[in-house]
Amino acid sequence: MIPRFTSTLRSPQIAAKLGLWLGVSFTVSFATGLFSHFLQHPPIWLTWPSRPVNLYRVTQGLHVIGGIATVPLLLAKLWAVYPKLWQWPPLRSAAHGLERVFVLALVGGALFQLVTGLLNIAYIYPWPFGFLQAHYWTAYLVFGALVIHVVNEWAKVRQSAWTRVDTKERRTFLRTVAAACGLAALVTVGETVRPLAPLAVLAPRDPRVGPQGLPVNRSAAAAGVPYSAGYRLVVTGKVRTPLSLTHADLLRLRQHTIRLPIACVEGWSADGEWTGVRLRDLLALAGVAPDALVTVESLERVGYYRSSEIRPAHWNDPLALLALRLNGQILHLDHGFPVRLIAPGRPGVLQTKWISEVRVS
Amino acid sequence: MRYPVYALGVVFIGIGLTGLVRDGIAIGWALSFAAILLAHDLLLAPATLLVGTAVGRWAAPWRAAAIVAGTLVLATLPTVLAIGRRPDNPSILPWNYPPNLAVVLIAVAAVAAALHLKLRNTRVA
Repeated sequence: MIPRFTSTLRSPQIAAKLGLWLGVSFTVSFATGLFSHFLQHPPIWLTWPSRPVNLYRVTQGLHVIGGIATVPLLLAKLWAVYPKLWQWPPLRSAAHGLERVFVLALVGGALFQLVTGLLNIAYIYPWPFGFLQAHYWTAYLVFGALVIHVVNEWAKVRQSAWTRVDTKERRTFLRTVAAACGLAALVTVGETVRPLAPLAVLAPRDPRVGPQGLPVNRSAAAAGVPYSAGYRLVVTGKVRTPLSLTHADLLRLRQHTIRLPIACVEGWSADGEWTGVRLRDLLALAGVAPDALVTVESLERVGYYRSSEIRPAHWNDPLALLALRLNGQILHLDHGFPVRLIAPGRPGVLQTKWISEVRVS
Repeated sequence: MRYPVYALGVVFIGIGLTGLVRDGIAIGWALSFAAILLAHDLLLAPATLLVGTAVGRWAAPWRAAAIVAGTLVLATLPTVLAIGRRPDNPSILPWNYPPNLAVVLIAVAAVAAALHLKLRNTRVA
Protein backbone atom coordinates (compact mmCIF):
# COMPACT_ATOMS: atom_id res chain seq x y z
CA MET A 1 0.00 0.00 0.00
CA ILE A 2 1.40 3.40 -0.93
CA PRO A 3 -0.06 6.22 1.13
CA ARG A 4 -1.32 9.28 -0.70
CA PHE A 5 -0.32 12.73 0.37
CA THR A 6 -2.78 15.22 -0.97
CA SER A 7 -1.87 18.62 0.47
CA THR A 8 -1.33 21.20 -2.26
CA LEU A 9 0.89 23.20 0.11
CA ARG A 10 3.80 20.83 -0.48
CA SER A 11 6.13 21.62 -3.36
CA PRO A 12 9.85 21.35 -4.08
CA GLN A 13 10.04 25.12 -3.84
CA ILE A 14 8.49 25.18 -0.36
CA ALA A 15 10.92 22.47 0.75
CA ALA A 16 13.83 24.43 -0.74
CA LYS A 17 12.86 27.70 0.97
CA LEU A 18 12.36 26.08 4.35
CA GLY A 19 15.60 24.17 3.82
CA LEU A 20 17.50 27.36 3.12
CA TRP A 21 16.25 28.99 6.33
CA LEU A 22 17.07 25.84 8.29
CA GLY A 23 20.54 25.73 6.79
CA VAL A 24 21.16 29.27 8.03
CA SER A 25 19.71 28.52 11.47
CA PHE A 26 21.70 25.32 12.03
CA THR A 27 24.91 26.96 10.82
CA VAL A 28 24.43 29.81 13.30
CA SER A 29 23.73 27.28 16.07
CA PHE A 30 26.81 25.27 15.17
CA ALA A 31 29.05 28.35 15.11
CA THR A 32 27.73 29.81 18.39
CA GLY A 33 27.80 26.36 19.99
CA LEU A 34 31.44 25.80 19.05
CA PHE A 35 32.26 29.30 20.32
CA SER A 36 30.67 28.47 23.67
CA HIS A 37 32.42 25.11 23.83
CA PHE A 38 35.87 26.56 23.19
CA LEU A 39 35.35 29.34 25.72
CA GLN A 40 34.64 26.67 28.31
CA HIS A 41 37.34 24.24 27.23
CA PRO A 42 40.01 26.41 25.67
CA PRO A 43 42.98 24.63 24.13
CA ILE A 44 46.17 26.14 25.55
CA TRP A 45 47.05 27.94 22.29
CA LEU A 46 43.68 29.65 22.14
CA THR A 47 43.52 33.09 23.70
CA TRP A 48 40.43 35.18 23.42
CA PRO A 49 39.87 38.79 24.49
CA SER A 50 37.86 39.71 27.58
CA ARG A 51 35.86 42.30 25.64
CA PRO A 52 33.24 43.07 24.42
CA VAL A 53 31.61 42.23 27.74
CA ASN A 54 28.30 41.27 26.13
CA LEU A 55 29.71 39.02 23.43
CA TYR A 56 28.87 35.72 25.12
CA ARG A 57 25.35 36.71 26.11
CA VAL A 58 24.68 37.60 22.47
CA THR A 59 26.16 34.44 20.94
CA GLN A 60 24.56 32.16 23.52
CA GLY A 61 21.24 34.00 23.28
CA LEU A 62 21.33 33.40 19.52
CA HIS A 63 22.12 29.74 20.14
CA VAL A 64 19.30 29.07 22.59
CA ILE A 65 16.55 31.44 21.47
CA GLY A 66 17.43 30.67 17.85
CA GLY A 67 17.10 26.97 18.68
CA ILE A 68 13.65 27.47 20.22
CA ALA A 69 12.55 29.49 17.17
CA THR A 70 13.81 26.73 14.87
CA VAL A 71 11.30 24.19 16.20
CA PRO A 72 8.39 25.37 13.98
CA LEU A 73 10.76 25.66 11.04
CA LEU A 74 12.13 22.12 11.35
CA LEU A 75 8.66 20.65 11.87
CA ALA A 76 7.34 22.49 8.80
CA LYS A 77 10.25 21.29 6.69
CA LEU A 78 9.83 17.68 7.81
CA TRP A 79 6.11 17.92 7.09
CA ALA A 80 6.84 19.29 3.63
CA VAL A 81 9.16 16.39 2.72
CA TYR A 82 7.41 13.66 4.73
CA PRO A 83 6.09 11.83 1.61
CA LYS A 84 9.71 11.19 0.61
CA LEU A 85 10.09 8.99 3.68
CA TRP A 86 7.63 6.57 2.09
CA GLN A 87 8.92 6.81 -1.50
CA TRP A 88 8.64 3.65 -3.55
CA PRO A 89 10.88 1.79 -4.18
CA PRO A 90 12.67 2.79 -1.00
CA LEU A 91 16.09 2.12 -2.53
CA ARG A 92 16.79 2.65 -6.21
CA SER A 93 20.56 2.20 -6.15
CA ALA A 94 23.53 2.10 -3.82
CA ALA A 95 24.04 5.85 -4.29
CA HIS A 96 20.39 6.51 -3.48
CA GLY A 97 20.70 4.33 -0.39
CA LEU A 98 23.74 6.28 0.76
CA GLU A 99 21.95 9.57 0.18
CA ARG A 100 19.08 8.35 2.33
CA VAL A 101 21.46 7.34 5.11
CA PHE A 102 22.84 10.89 5.19
CA VAL A 103 19.30 12.31 5.20
CA LEU A 104 18.49 10.03 8.13
CA ALA A 105 21.55 11.37 9.98
CA LEU A 106 20.46 14.94 9.22
CA VAL A 107 16.81 14.53 10.22
CA GLY A 108 17.53 12.43 13.30
CA GLY A 109 20.40 14.66 14.34
CA ALA A 110 18.43 17.88 13.87
CA LEU A 111 15.53 16.50 15.95
CA PHE A 112 17.99 15.21 18.55
CA GLN A 113 19.64 18.62 18.94
CA LEU A 114 16.36 20.49 19.34
CA VAL A 115 14.82 17.95 21.72
CA THR A 116 17.89 17.66 23.96
CA GLY A 117 18.45 21.43 23.89
CA LEU A 118 14.84 22.22 24.84
CA LEU A 119 14.83 19.65 27.64
CA ASN A 120 18.19 20.81 28.95
CA ILE A 121 17.14 24.45 29.38
CA ALA A 122 14.06 23.17 31.24
CA TYR A 123 16.22 21.00 33.55
CA ILE A 124 14.83 17.67 32.35
CA TYR A 125 17.39 14.94 31.69
CA PRO A 126 15.64 11.73 30.63
CA TRP A 127 18.70 10.23 28.95
CA PRO A 128 21.55 7.92 29.91
CA PHE A 129 24.39 10.28 28.91
CA GLY A 130 25.81 13.69 29.72
CA PHE A 131 23.91 16.38 27.82
CA LEU A 132 27.09 18.26 27.08
CA GLN A 133 28.93 15.47 25.28
CA ALA A 134 25.90 14.23 23.37
CA HIS A 135 24.80 17.69 22.20
CA TYR A 136 28.38 18.62 21.28
CA TRP A 137 29.24 15.53 19.22
CA THR A 138 25.84 15.37 17.56
CA ALA A 139 26.44 18.93 16.34
CA TYR A 140 29.32 17.67 14.19
CA LEU A 141 27.16 14.85 12.86
CA VAL A 142 24.35 17.25 11.93
CA PHE A 143 26.66 19.78 10.35
CA GLY A 144 28.44 17.12 8.28
CA ALA A 145 25.13 15.67 7.10
CA LEU A 146 23.93 19.22 6.37
CA VAL A 147 26.96 19.94 4.18
CA ILE A 148 26.32 16.76 2.18
CA HIS A 149 22.61 17.51 1.89
CA VAL A 150 23.32 21.05 0.66
CA VAL A 151 25.58 19.69 -2.09
CA ASN A 152 22.89 17.22 -3.16
CA GLU A 153 20.08 19.76 -3.14
CA TRP A 154 21.93 22.86 -4.27
CA ALA A 155 20.56 22.71 -7.83
CA LYS A 156 16.98 22.75 -6.51
CA VAL A 157 17.73 25.52 -4.05
CA ARG A 158 19.32 27.67 -6.75
CA GLN A 159 16.37 27.08 -9.02
CA SER A 160 13.61 27.94 -6.62
CA ALA A 161 14.79 29.58 -3.44
CA TRP A 162 15.22 33.07 -4.86
CA THR A 163 12.06 33.14 -6.94
CA ARG A 164 8.62 34.13 -5.71
CA VAL A 165 6.58 31.25 -4.33
CA ASP A 166 4.08 30.18 -6.98
CA THR A 167 0.70 30.15 -5.21
CA LYS A 168 -0.90 32.48 -2.69
CA GLU A 169 -1.76 29.51 -0.49
CA ARG A 170 1.91 28.47 -0.28
CA ARG A 171 3.06 32.03 0.36
CA THR A 172 0.64 32.19 3.28
CA PHE A 173 2.01 28.88 4.56
CA LEU A 174 5.59 30.21 4.58
CA ARG A 175 4.48 33.40 6.31
CA THR A 176 2.66 31.32 8.90
CA VAL A 177 5.78 29.29 9.63
CA ALA A 178 7.79 32.52 9.94
CA ALA A 179 5.17 33.90 12.32
CA ALA A 180 5.37 30.74 14.45
CA CYS A 181 9.16 31.03 14.65
CA GLY A 182 8.87 34.71 15.53
CA LEU A 183 6.28 34.06 18.25
CA ALA A 184 8.38 31.28 19.81
CA ALA A 185 11.30 33.73 19.98
CA LEU A 186 9.13 36.58 21.26
CA VAL A 187 7.80 34.68 24.28
CA THR A 188 11.28 33.51 25.34
CA VAL A 189 13.87 36.12 24.28
CA GLY A 190 13.10 38.27 27.34
CA GLU A 191 15.10 35.82 29.46
CA THR A 192 18.20 37.46 28.01
CA VAL A 193 16.96 40.80 26.58
CA ARG A 194 15.90 42.64 29.73
CA PRO A 195 13.44 45.15 28.18
CA LEU A 196 11.45 42.20 26.80
CA ALA A 197 11.40 40.33 30.13
CA PRO A 198 7.64 40.98 30.67
CA LEU A 199 6.98 39.10 27.40
CA ALA A 200 9.08 36.08 28.37
CA VAL A 201 6.03 34.24 29.66
CA LEU A 202 7.18 30.84 28.36
CA ALA A 203 10.91 31.15 29.12
CA PRO A 204 12.51 28.91 31.77
CA ARG A 205 14.06 31.98 33.42
CA ASP A 206 13.26 35.57 34.21
CA PRO A 207 16.33 37.83 34.48
CA ARG A 208 14.63 39.70 37.36
CA VAL A 209 13.83 36.65 39.50
CA GLY A 210 16.26 35.20 42.03
CA PRO A 211 17.97 36.10 45.27
CA GLN A 212 19.05 39.78 45.19
CA GLY A 213 17.24 40.15 41.85
CA LEU A 214 19.40 37.74 39.87
CA PRO A 215 18.75 34.13 38.80
CA VAL A 216 20.89 31.30 40.17
CA ASN A 217 22.13 28.34 38.17
CA ARG A 218 23.58 26.16 40.93
CA SER A 219 22.46 26.80 44.49
CA ALA A 220 24.71 26.38 47.51
CA ALA A 221 22.56 23.43 48.60
CA ALA A 222 22.96 21.72 45.21
CA ALA A 223 26.71 22.37 45.27
CA GLY A 224 26.98 21.08 48.84
CA VAL A 225 28.92 24.10 50.00
CA PRO A 226 29.40 24.15 53.76
CA TYR A 227 29.22 27.52 55.44
CA SER A 228 32.24 28.00 57.63
CA ALA A 229 32.89 30.78 60.10
CA GLY A 230 36.61 30.14 59.79
CA TYR A 231 36.61 31.05 56.10
CA ARG A 232 39.84 32.27 54.51
CA LEU A 233 40.77 33.10 50.95
CA VAL A 234 44.32 31.96 50.19
CA VAL A 235 46.50 33.12 47.32
CA THR A 236 49.15 30.48 46.63
CA GLY A 237 51.51 29.13 44.00
CA LYS A 238 53.98 31.27 42.11
CA VAL A 239 53.63 34.32 44.34
CA ARG A 240 56.16 36.47 46.19
CA THR A 241 53.93 36.79 49.25
CA PRO A 242 51.31 34.09 49.89
CA LEU A 243 48.11 35.62 51.25
CA SER A 244 45.48 34.34 53.63
CA LEU A 245 42.55 36.71 54.05
CA THR A 246 39.33 36.66 56.04
CA HIS A 247 36.07 38.02 54.66
CA ALA A 248 36.62 41.16 56.77
CA ASP A 249 40.16 41.55 55.37
CA LEU A 250 38.77 41.42 51.84
CA LEU A 251 36.14 44.06 52.66
CA ARG A 252 38.94 46.36 53.92
CA LEU A 253 40.80 46.21 50.56
CA ARG A 254 40.00 48.86 47.94
CA GLN A 255 36.49 48.16 46.58
CA HIS A 256 35.27 48.74 43.02
CA THR A 257 31.72 48.66 41.72
CA ILE A 258 30.98 47.52 38.17
CA ARG A 259 28.05 46.31 36.05
CA LEU A 260 28.53 42.95 34.38
CA PRO A 261 26.14 40.23 33.20
CA ILE A 262 25.94 36.64 34.25
CA ALA A 263 25.49 35.02 30.84
CA CYS A 264 24.44 31.41 31.23
CA VAL A 265 25.15 28.66 28.75
CA GLU A 266 21.41 27.92 28.95
CA GLY A 267 20.70 31.17 27.12
CA TRP A 268 19.48 33.49 29.89
CA SER A 269 21.50 36.45 31.05
CA ALA A 270 21.10 39.18 33.64
CA ASP A 271 23.06 42.25 34.66
CA GLY A 272 24.20 42.75 38.22
CA GLU A 273 25.98 45.53 40.05
CA TRP A 274 28.97 43.88 41.64
CA THR A 275 31.27 45.30 44.30
CA GLY A 276 34.57 43.77 45.31
CA VAL A 277 38.31 43.62 44.92
CA ARG A 278 39.96 43.81 41.53
CA LEU A 279 41.63 40.49 40.83
CA ARG A 280 44.71 42.24 39.47
CA ASP A 281 45.00 44.38 42.65
CA LEU A 282 44.93 41.25 44.81
CA LEU A 283 47.48 39.50 42.60
CA ALA A 284 49.73 42.59 42.68
CA LEU A 285 49.53 42.44 46.47
CA ALA A 286 50.77 38.86 46.34
CA GLY A 287 53.46 39.75 43.79
CA VAL A 288 52.43 37.90 40.64
CA ALA A 289 54.01 38.14 37.16
CA PRO A 290 51.62 39.84 34.68
CA ASP A 291 51.62 36.82 32.35
CA ALA A 292 50.83 34.25 35.03
CA LEU A 293 48.05 31.70 34.69
CA VAL A 294 45.53 31.93 37.51
CA THR A 295 43.14 29.25 38.73
CA VAL A 296 40.33 29.88 41.19
CA GLU A 297 39.11 26.99 43.32
CA SER A 298 35.69 26.75 44.91
CA LEU A 299 34.60 25.38 48.27
CA GLU A 300 32.50 22.93 46.21
CA ARG A 301 33.89 19.46 46.78
CA VAL A 302 32.67 17.93 43.53
CA GLY A 303 31.34 19.23 40.27
CA TYR A 304 32.49 19.92 36.78
CA TYR A 305 32.89 23.63 37.38
CA ARG A 306 34.42 23.70 40.87
CA SER A 307 37.49 25.48 39.55
CA SER A 308 38.22 27.66 36.57
CA GLU A 309 41.22 29.02 34.81
CA ILE A 310 41.74 32.73 34.19
CA ARG A 311 44.14 33.70 31.42
CA PRO A 312 46.28 36.87 31.71
CA ALA A 313 44.13 38.94 29.32
CA HIS A 314 41.19 38.23 31.64
CA TRP A 315 42.59 38.69 35.13
CA ASN A 316 44.38 41.87 34.05
CA ASP A 317 41.06 43.34 32.90
CA PRO A 318 39.99 46.05 35.39
CA LEU A 319 36.45 44.64 35.29
CA ALA A 320 37.60 41.28 36.69
CA LEU A 321 36.56 41.27 40.35
CA LEU A 322 36.47 39.00 43.31
CA ALA A 323 32.96 40.13 44.16
CA LEU A 324 31.79 40.50 47.76
CA ARG A 325 28.52 42.35 47.14
CA LEU A 326 25.72 42.14 44.62
CA ASN A 327 23.32 45.04 44.02
CA GLY A 328 24.55 46.72 47.21
CA GLN A 329 24.12 43.74 49.55
CA ILE A 330 26.62 41.19 50.84
CA LEU A 331 26.51 38.27 48.36
CA HIS A 332 23.69 35.77 48.91
CA LEU A 333 25.00 32.28 49.67
CA ASP A 334 23.50 31.07 46.37
CA HIS A 335 25.43 33.77 44.50
CA GLY A 336 28.72 32.57 45.97
CA PHE A 337 29.12 34.08 49.46
CA PRO A 338 31.72 34.87 50.70
CA VAL A 339 33.54 35.53 47.39
CA ARG A 340 32.85 34.85 43.75
CA LEU A 341 34.53 35.65 40.49
CA ILE A 342 32.85 38.08 38.12
CA ALA A 343 34.78 38.93 34.96
CA PRO A 344 33.89 40.09 31.45
CA GLY A 345 33.56 37.73 28.49
CA ARG A 346 33.09 34.51 30.44
CA PRO A 347 30.25 31.99 30.33
CA GLY A 348 28.34 31.94 33.65
CA VAL A 349 29.66 28.51 34.60
CA LEU A 350 33.17 29.98 34.65
CA GLN A 351 32.19 32.78 37.05
CA THR A 352 33.28 30.54 39.90
CA LYS A 353 31.38 30.89 43.20
CA TRP A 354 32.43 30.25 46.83
CA ILE A 355 36.11 30.85 46.04
CA SER A 356 38.54 29.58 48.68
CA GLU A 357 41.79 29.63 46.75
CA VAL A 358 43.48 31.65 44.03
CA ARG A 359 46.33 29.57 42.66
CA VAL A 360 49.04 31.07 40.46
CA SER A 361 51.10 28.98 38.03
CA MET B 1 33.81 20.45 -6.52
CA ARG B 2 31.19 17.98 -5.28
CA TYR B 3 33.55 15.37 -3.93
CA PRO B 4 35.80 17.53 -1.75
CA VAL B 5 32.68 18.95 -0.08
CA TYR B 6 31.24 15.45 0.40
CA ALA B 7 34.56 14.50 1.98
CA LEU B 8 34.30 17.50 4.31
CA GLY B 9 30.82 16.39 5.36
CA VAL B 10 32.01 12.85 6.00
CA VAL B 11 34.91 14.17 8.11
CA PHE B 12 32.47 16.15 10.31
CA ILE B 13 30.23 13.09 10.70
CA GLY B 14 33.32 11.04 11.56
CA ILE B 15 34.38 13.53 14.24
CA GLY B 16 30.92 13.38 15.79
CA LEU B 17 30.61 9.60 15.80
CA THR B 18 34.14 8.96 17.10
CA GLY B 19 33.58 11.54 19.83
CA LEU B 20 30.43 9.71 20.95
CA VAL B 21 32.27 6.38 20.99
CA ARG B 22 35.34 7.76 22.76
CA ASP B 23 33.19 9.35 25.46
CA GLY B 24 31.57 5.94 25.97
CA ILE B 25 28.02 7.15 25.36
CA ALA B 26 27.45 5.70 21.87
CA ILE B 27 24.85 3.08 22.86
CA GLY B 28 22.70 5.33 25.01
CA TRP B 29 23.01 8.01 22.38
CA ALA B 30 22.00 5.68 19.53
CA LEU B 31 18.91 4.51 21.45
CA SER B 32 17.82 8.08 22.19
CA PHE B 33 18.55 9.13 18.60
CA ALA B 34 16.37 6.31 17.27
CA ALA B 35 13.62 6.95 19.82
CA ILE B 36 13.38 10.64 18.93
CA LEU B 37 13.45 9.93 15.19
CA LEU B 38 10.77 7.24 15.43
CA ALA B 39 8.65 9.42 17.71
CA HIS B 40 8.63 12.04 14.98
CA ASP B 41 8.26 9.80 11.94
CA LEU B 42 5.73 7.33 13.33
CA LEU B 43 3.81 9.38 15.92
CA LEU B 44 4.07 13.15 15.54
CA ALA B 45 4.06 13.30 11.73
CA PRO B 46 1.08 10.94 11.24
CA ALA B 47 -0.79 12.71 14.04
CA THR B 48 -0.14 16.02 12.29
CA LEU B 49 -1.54 14.58 9.05
CA LEU B 50 -4.68 13.48 10.87
CA VAL B 51 -5.13 16.88 12.48
CA GLY B 52 -4.42 18.44 9.08
CA THR B 53 -7.27 16.61 7.40
CA ALA B 54 -9.65 18.11 9.94
CA VAL B 55 -8.09 21.58 10.04
CA GLY B 56 -7.76 21.68 6.24
CA ARG B 57 -11.45 22.50 5.96
CA TRP B 58 -11.15 25.58 8.19
CA ALA B 59 -10.80 29.13 6.88
CA ALA B 60 -7.21 30.18 6.12
CA PRO B 61 -6.60 32.31 9.27
CA TRP B 62 -7.71 29.46 11.54
CA ARG B 63 -5.51 26.97 9.69
CA ALA B 64 -2.58 29.33 10.21
CA ALA B 65 -3.49 29.74 13.89
CA ALA B 66 -3.50 25.96 14.30
CA ILE B 67 0.02 25.72 12.84
CA VAL B 68 1.30 28.55 15.04
CA ALA B 69 -0.35 27.19 18.19
CA GLY B 70 0.71 23.58 17.60
CA THR B 71 4.36 24.35 16.92
CA LEU B 72 4.55 26.88 19.76
CA VAL B 73 3.23 24.31 22.23
CA LEU B 74 5.84 21.79 21.09
CA ALA B 75 8.65 24.37 21.23
CA THR B 76 7.84 25.35 24.83
CA LEU B 77 6.40 22.12 26.24
CA PRO B 78 9.36 21.18 28.52
CA THR B 79 9.13 24.63 30.12
CA VAL B 80 5.33 24.63 30.38
CA LEU B 81 5.31 21.20 32.05
CA ALA B 82 7.98 22.51 34.46
CA ILE B 83 8.89 19.06 35.73
CA GLY B 84 12.49 20.26 36.07
CA ARG B 85 11.70 22.41 39.13
CA ARG B 86 13.96 22.01 42.16
CA PRO B 87 13.16 22.87 45.74
CA ASP B 88 16.61 24.39 46.37
CA ASN B 89 16.42 26.89 43.51
CA PRO B 90 13.16 28.82 42.95
CA SER B 91 14.73 30.94 40.18
CA ILE B 92 14.49 27.91 37.87
CA LEU B 93 11.13 27.86 36.01
CA PRO B 94 9.73 30.67 38.17
CA TRP B 95 6.28 31.08 36.60
CA ASN B 96 3.01 29.21 36.55
CA TYR B 97 3.29 28.39 32.86
CA PRO B 98 -0.06 26.81 31.83
CA PRO B 99 -2.01 30.07 32.32
CA ASN B 100 0.74 31.94 30.46
CA LEU B 101 0.45 29.50 27.57
CA ALA B 102 -3.33 29.94 27.61
CA VAL B 103 -2.96 33.71 27.33
CA VAL B 104 -0.57 33.38 24.37
CA LEU B 105 -2.90 30.92 22.63
CA ILE B 106 -5.88 33.22 23.20
CA ALA B 107 -3.86 36.04 21.64
CA VAL B 108 -3.13 33.82 18.62
CA ALA B 109 -6.84 33.02 18.33
CA ALA B 110 -7.71 36.72 18.58
CA VAL B 111 -5.36 37.54 15.70
CA ALA B 112 -6.89 34.72 13.66
CA ALA B 113 -10.41 35.99 14.39
CA ALA B 114 -9.44 39.53 13.37
CA LEU B 115 -7.88 38.29 10.12
CA HIS B 116 -10.95 36.16 9.45
CA LEU B 117 -13.28 39.14 9.90
CA LYS B 118 -11.10 41.33 7.69
CA LEU B 119 -11.01 38.63 5.02
CA ARG B 120 -14.78 38.23 5.07
CA ASN B 121 -15.37 41.98 4.91
CA THR B 122 -13.06 42.43 1.92
CA ARG B 123 -14.79 39.54 0.19
CA VAL B 124 -18.21 41.08 0.84
CA ALA B 125 -16.99 44.45 -0.38
